[in-house]
This record gives sequence, C-alpha cells and structure tokens, in this order.
Amino acid sequence: MITTLNIVFVAVVNTGLDLEISFNHFLEGIGLPSSIAHLLWLPLPMLLVLSAALIGVLVTVWLERKISAAAQQRIGPEYAGALGILQPMADGLKLLVKEDIIPQKADSLLFTLGPVLVLIPVILSWLIVPFGQNLLISNVGIGIFLWIALSSIQPIGLLMSGYASNNKYSLLGGLRAAAQSISYEIPLALAVLAVVMMSNSLSTIDIVNQQNTAGFLSWNIFRQPIGFLIFWICALAECERLPFDLPEAEEELVAGYQTEYAGMKFALFYLGSYINLVLSSLLVSVLYLGGWGFPIPIELIANILGQSANDPIIQIITGSIGIMMTVFKTYLLVFLAILLRWTTPRVRIDQLLDLGWKFLLPISLVNLLFTAALKLAFPVAFGG
Amino acid sequence: MVNFFEKATDYTRNAISAGKYLLQGLAVTFDHMRRRPITVQYPYEKLIPSERYRGRIHYEFDKCIACEVCVRVCPINLPVVDWVMNKETKKKELRNYSIDFGVCIFCGNCVEYCPTNCLSMTEEYELAAFDRHSLNFDNVALGRLPTNVTTDPSVIALKELPYLPEGVMDPHELEEGSKRAGKLPSEVLTNKKDKAPIGEQKK
Repeated sequence: MITTLNIVFVAVVNTGLDLEISFNHFLEGIGLPSSIAHLLWLPLPMLLVLSAALIGVLVTVWLERKISAAAQQRIGPEYAGALGILQPMADGLKLLVKEDIIPQKADSLLFTLGPVLVLIPVILSWLIVPFGQNLLISNVGIGIFLWIALSSIQPIGLLMSGYASNNKYSLLGGLRAAAQSISYEIPLALAVLAVVMMSNSLSTIDIVNQQNTAGFLSWNIFRQPIGFLIFWICALAECERLPFDLPEAEEELVAGYQTEYAGMKFALFYLGSYINLVLSSLLVSVLYLGGWGFPIPIELIANILGQSANDPIIQIITGSIGIMMTVFKTYLLVFLAILLRWTTPRVRIDQLLDLGWKFLLPISLVNLLFTAALKLAFPVAFGG
Repeated sequence: MVNFFEKATDYTRNAISAGKYLLQGLAVTFDHMRRRPITVQYPYEKLIPSERYRGRIHYEFDKCIACEVCVRVCPINLPVVDWVMNKETKKKELRNYSIDFGVCIFCGNCVEYCPTNCLSMTEEYELAAFDRHSLNFDNVALGRLPTNVTTDPSVIALKELPYLPEGVMDPHELEEGSKRAGKLPSEVLTNKKDKAPIGEQKK
C-alpha cells in the first residue's frame, strides 16, 4: 500500500495530478510492458466518465422533480429511498422492463437508429469535459469545436426518429427540432468563438487555464457577459428545455418525436436530453465560470498556508476541490435551468426563429467583433 | 442615420425590459421554493369536509314510510322503494330500499324533501369500487355510518381553508384550539341576546 502511494506521489509531476502516468508507473512496477499498461488504462477514464454522466443524470432527474415540486409548493417524490432519491432509478428500471414497441407502419431501422444517433454524440461530447488539469479523457486540440460538431449530429437523429415514426406529431416534432437546432447552433458557435479568441485555443483545458489567473475576477463571465447570455439561451434551445421545448411540446404535439417510443428507446431519448442538459451546464461552467477553478486561486491559499503547490497531498486536495467546483457550478446552472422551466412560457415557433435569427445572431456577431476590438485595444485583459 | 440609432435604442430598451421581467418571474419562482407545500398527502392526511358536505346518503329503514317523495323529487327517479300493500292493516310494508351511487349526482333533493327525515347526507366521499354494481347500496349498506376523518386514528385530519384562523393559509401544524376567522352562528346569537334580547325586541 505504502509503495503504491509512493509510486503515485512520484508520478505527480509539476503540471498537476496526472493519474494516467501514475497508473502506468504502478503497472510497470509490477512488471507489465508499457503498451499493455496503456491498454489497461484506456477503458478506465471512459467508464469513469460514462458512469459519472449517468449518475449526473440520475441526480439531475431527482433534482428536477424535487425543485419542480418545491416551485409548485408540492413535495415531489418521497417514498422511493430517503427523500425519493431512488425515484430516477425506479423510473429507469420501469423503462428497462417495458415492452419495446415498433409501430407496424414505421420504418423499423430508422426508428431504432434515431434514439441511438441522438444519444451517442451527447455521450461522445463528454470526451472534452475537463474536471481538472489532467482530469479529462482526452485533451484534443480542437476541443470545444468537437462538441459543436458533434451536437449538430443530434438533429439528424431527431428528424430521423420523427420521420420514421409515421406519425404526424412525431414528424412535426422532428422538423421543429431540426429547425431549432440549426438556427441556434450559429449564435452558439459565435459565442464560443469569442471565448476561443480570448484564450487563443480551442482546447477546453487552455480555456479554463486562461480564466484562472486571478481567481473569480478573471472568469469569462465578466469579460463576456453578453456571450454568456447568448450561450446559455442557445444551450437551453439545444437541450430543448423550456422555454424552447417546442419539439416535444406536450400540449400541442403529444410528445413530439418521442410520441411513438416506449421502453428502452424512450429511455435513450430521456437519458440523452438529461445528459445534454448536464453537458451544456458543464460547458457553460467551463467556458464562462472558470471550470474547475476555485474563486480564490488555490496556489495563493497554499502559499499563505506555507505549503508548496507541488506537494503531492496538496495536489490531490486541489484535484478534488477542482472536481467539486466543476460539479457545484454545473448543478447551479442546472438549478437555474429548472427554475427557468417554471418561470418562462413556451415561445411559439415563429418567435423562436425570430429570436434565433433576428436577435441572437446579430448580437453574437457584434459581440464577436467587439471582443476582437477589445483584444486589440487591451491585450492584457482580453488575452492578447 | 438618426432613425437607425432610434431603432437601436428602442431595441436595446426592449431587450433590457424583457430581461427585467424575466428576472422578476425568476424571483417569484424562487420565492415559492421556500414556502411549505400546501398539498394534502391524501391517504395519510385528509381534509375535514365542511358541515354541509353532500356525500354518500344515509338512510334509516325504520323511519321510512315508503311515501316515494324521494323518487319524485329525484332528477332521475333513482331511489328504488320496494313496498307491498298489506291489505289487512291497509298500510304500506317496506321491503327494500336502494340507491345506486354510481348514478346519483348527490344533489340532495331527496334529503331535502323526505317528510320523516330518514335520509341524510354523510361526509363520506370515498366511493371507488372495482365493480360499478357494488355501488348500488341497499338499505343495509345505506344504514352504515362512515368513519369520521377526525376520529380515524390512521388519518391526520386537516382543516379546510375557510376553517383556518385569519391570515393562516396552511392547515399543517395548527395550534391546538385555534378557531376560524369570524364568529360561529351561536356566538352571533348570544351577542345579539346581550345587546337586546329577541323577545323584547318585538315588544
């Protein structure tokens, strides 16, 4: 045990906690070749992030139901586990054992492929979500661009399932989802572009690092307040949450493209929408709220306490605080999304498109140009 | 050019006011979160029905004279009064009486017009059944008294809104012996007596 710890501590390098290197060192210490150690390491972060996403969804579903209940002066789920904490599990289990129905006149291949195509890009996007300096699956160079690219696969899946269901409500829902995703992707990308311009990098790690030079004062939300609002509105529209839930508007379209789905296929949609909500909140916190950064720089606290920031224990503490901060910020945004759900009425489809094309798009363009001008004028504050 | 700036300022002003209203709405929603749930947790908590609640009808077989007034005043002639004429005594002999609560609309006309007061309204409202024919109550079933919400040990009885003290909206955790807003009819009567007794007023 002590030797393991030692190996872990030795492997902690100056760039911060890196579990991959320590894991590989440990396996090589046992006597395995480095290629096999690398192979054994690969599935670990993937499984970890996948289970983190799923647990995040369960927590979000529970929060959604509890907060909705509180906003409406109800109690909400109460009997499944303490405070109803097991309710999402019960829901999931129910969906798991339900009969899988494919309508007779539906296109069964596209009908089955639809939910898969919706869920996979969302899960894949977790690849670039950082929880700490080295706590992400892969620090790909194109980073945030990968997420934008992946999120434009989703409307294809939605349209596919809406069309394949052979149902008027499904088709309308699918078309609405496609129209909505397309018109909100552009302002979203432009808002991201302004952030990218300030950090000179598409990588999520660099974006966060650039924000954590002076604690919470250097967070992007203060440099990009309009960008933050645009991004949040677009993220809500991409997640199809109220006030932008027209694709599944239950009062008019039954359940939109989900109408004909039951059992596990419906569960995939359900899972996808909640994973997407958590993912969007995570990305808002990464892009605008300093990601894993503590409001006061941890290095500063460590220096005041007379500890070296490179001390292994300090690094482990820093890593765990980073994860906690990311999760805390994310759930704060999830809470805001739920609160918005019970505050705002649903917009009409023409209002939705008006808002996207006539308001958000010009504003985000102006924001981008303004950021560029500020970057030229004040390179110190705007990442020259 | 001036026109453009006017438009731009209007646009911004509209956007800002929309944002302001949105924040106002968010504040309202947020404020609701700290309020206590007003829901009644039904099988465990129940509201006390009001005095004039028109629930399942109670019937006293021995008081009934089989006059069939209840049938005549009923909008759908629902009560079934099964009687035979005893020719020796020249009196009606009641054999059976039944009301189908799957059809009854609980209007209370029968109760209103019953000459011997053998019909009355109870506060029972839990009439769900697996078979609608089991809602056809005969004179024995009609003669049963419902369990009172206030005396049922497995139920927490809650007062309805008009029976709560003034300013109180939440029936949970009421103080012992707290009274409803306003005066009871009996209190109004005693007050009138104190001022000017009713008998003397006439003189």
